[in-house]
Amino acid sequence: MSIFIIILKLILLPTLSPLCVGIVRKVKAYMQNRRGAGIFQPYYDLWKLFHKDEVIARDASWIFYLTPFLLFGLSILLPLGIPLLGSIESLSFFGDFIITIYLLATMTFFIALSGLDVGSAFGGFGSSREMTIAALTEGTLLFSFLPIALVTHTTNVILMATTASGLPFFNYLPFVIAFMGFFIALMAETGRIPFDNPSTHLELTMIHEAMILEYSGKRLALIEWANANKFIFFIILGVNLFFPWGLSTTANLSSLLFPFILVIVKATTLIVGVAILESSMAKLRLFRLPDLLLTGFIFCVISLITVTI
Amino acid sequence: MTYTEIVNKYLDKDTIIEKNNNLILFHVATDSIIDTCLNLRDKHQLLLKAIKATDERAENGGYKIFYIFGIPGSEFFIVPYLLIRDANEFPSLAPFIYQASLYELEIKSFFGLTPVGHPQIRPFLVHNNWPADIYPLRKDFHFQKRPATAATPYEFQKVDGEGIYEIPVGPVHAGIIEPGHFRFSVAGEEIVSLEPKFGYTHKGSEKLFEELPFDDKIRLSERISGDTSFTHSLSYCQAVETLSNTIISSRAKYIRVIYSELERLANHFNDVGFIISDTGFSFGGNGPRLREKIMQLCELLTGSRFLRGVNTIGGITKDISKEMQTTLEYELQKMKKDFEEVIAVIEDSESVLNRLKGTGKIDKQIATDHGVVGIAARAVGLPRDARSEYPYAAYSEINMKIASQSTGDVHARFQVRISEIYSSIDIIFQALKKMPKGNILNKTAKKLEKNAYAIGITEGWRGDILYFVATDSKGEISRVGVRDASFLNWSAVPYAVVGNIVPDFPLINKSFNLSYSAFDR
Repeated sequence: MSIFIIILKLILLPTLSPLCVGIVRKVKAYMQNRRGAGIFQPYYDLWKLFHKDEVIARDASWIFYLTPFLLFGLSILLPLGIPLLGSIESLSFFGDFIITIYLLATMTFFIALSGLDVGSAFGGFGSSREMTIAALTEGTLLFSFLPIALVTHTTNVILMATTASGLPFFNYLPFVIAFMGFFIALMAETGRIPFDNPSTHLELTMIHEAMILEYSGKRLALIEWANANKFIFFIILGVNLFFPWGLSTTANLSSLLFPFILVIVKATTLIVGVAILESSMAKLRLFRLPDLLLTGFIFCVISLITVTI
Repeated sequence: MTYTEIVNKYLDKDTIIEKNNNLILFHVATDSIIDTCLNLRDKHQLLLKAIKATDERAENGGYKIFYIFGIPGSEFFIVPYLLIRDANEFPSLAPFIYQASLYELEIKSFFGLTPVGHPQIRPFLVHNNWPADIYPLRKDFHFQKRPATAATPYEFQKVDGEGIYEIPVGPVHAGIIEPGHFRFSVAGEEIVSLEPKFGYTHKGSEKLFEELPFDDKIRLSERISGDTSFTHSLSYCQAVETLSNTIISSRAKYIRVIYSELERLANHFNDVGFIISDTGFSFGGNGPRLREKIMQLCELLTGSRFLRGVNTIGGITKDISKEMQTTLEYELQKMKKDFEEVIAVIEDSESVLNRLKGTGKIDKQIATDHGVVGIAARAVGLPRDARSEYPYAAYSEINMKIASQSTGDVHARFQVRISEIYSSIDIIFQALKKMPKGNILNKTAKKLEKNAYAIGITEGWRGDILYFVATDSKGEISRVGVRDASFLNWSAVPYAVVGNIVPDFPLINKSFNLSYSAFDR
């Protein structure tokens, strides 16, 4: 039966991911006293892009052609390693957090390459900025998992979360500290303010958008969708790994309803939180971003120390 | 300062002066023009406001080049001029007075007169596809003629060095903004040099001024820079009113002040908002919201959101009724409170202020050398403001303080705008109180003085706007020279940018928010 749950997860998350983006935009619009587009607008956008022709630079190599498919493929594969409902989803061969982190790094690597590929100036500096940030984010992300791995004696994310869900309440303090580090990495990885402004039109300030400026039509749709998938992946990972209450530890189907409702509530809270944070501060100066990521890293180290002593 | 005082103070006894409306003209021999200008600038501390040329081959057998110096506190301008009869060149002032550089290139492009000694003669304002030997402002060039497409080469400055690369940006940009090309030379993220190239919106406006019927010229002046319609046309109208010796009623003068300040308010609100939005702080959206309120107020008052069709020779066409006065006062009072709340939130945000402070600094010396005016000048502490330097309309009867900051960065320009918003609201209140009753439009004889010149200067929201208007022997307008604040201030932008990082450029650019259209004309 667990195979059905896993397949359901792999279909459900990419289906819902544009909705998450829609919710973030809607909340941001409310914060700015605007009415904003409907929360289903990202679906219409994807539909529109999938029906458009593409313009591809003459100099584009196979990297440029392949990257969108690779990104999308990896983005729907990623949720395989994280818990949505409980231990029922765990796989023996997949789900190590180090694998997850380096799958993410692979995505970053290819998108940075495709930014460089056609040789436009914007793509070039987009890629260079992305790599600078990615290199620093990677460590923070990795270290945010470690305290939990130490507590639960496993590196399988799903097992980590389900084991942790049975811990007494006071044991969650290091989790909260590690979450702060994770959250900073989340904002960086998903290209949100203060790292990047996902809604800007100013090419010179872009990071993520600068790399994909040359894409259009169907491939752009795939990339946009992959990004939405990545966003929902981080949201679910964040709420279920660091606040794993209510995850089901049995394989009983009837026990899955409560975790399902709970994860929706938790995820929505985090999404709204992201949107509010994005509305309440300015983008940081590019060279101050490493400071922020370092702060995240320090949170993770503190958490690690509290776990070990 | 009276006319005699000026002559005694600034000019040699043996100068042969031709007083012409508000110009104190005197002819200077070609080889002594540099000394004369340097003398006016260095010894008398006068400011070069513009250099404009006319083609007077029909009347005087040559071209004239006017070096317009402003005298703060006076309505007069000291204008030494060259008469170029048998040559196609004139000595360049650019090595001594930097801001002359662009004026001279403009004269080269439009009149075909070569500034000898200019350090960098290159195509300017006309597009690469315009033939290099056709000069549109010469009288023998017909304005509807379409020359064959040419391909004039244009070389950008090359910065050599390890790891330095170029980023070409534009002329087409993201978003709905005007076209201009920026060539960045960058080491990593740090900008080593920025070279802007303009001329993509060159519309031949100065030529069109000579061709359009009299009434349409005002309409053209409203469209030199769309967001500054009122002050541009005011500047033009003032020059023509001087030429036709029209007296403006006191009420019209006050209403001109009110409309000028409304235009300033609309644009300042917008800029304050957009500077904040460009840091990624979405709260900046409140700027455009406030601007829209002003625009609607303008529409209510005049029927035009941009105050077009309001200025005319002899006064204005739209009066402010008694009820409107109360509405205006009430709405502005409300908006002031609204704005105070917006600013309080912004000043509370450390992340925003950090982005603004220290970014895009210009040096006071550079601002002085390049004749920077308006907001950018006041942000480095130079008290340049045509409203108090060359009082026009009813500004001489109004108390106002020139906004001043010293740091010269984005934050300083931001602060100048904020204090000007408050002072603009205050000026409108004063004007509404002091405004006398009376007519708003005086009848004018459409006859202008023959063979005459006049200058109109106003303070647009970017900085001062100067119109140089000349008439021919029939009393028809034969030349209109336009100089927007953008023309001078664009030359300061590359200095502000150097040493900053690429992602801060949009913010720096927005803090100047200069007009491409008014630069190119």
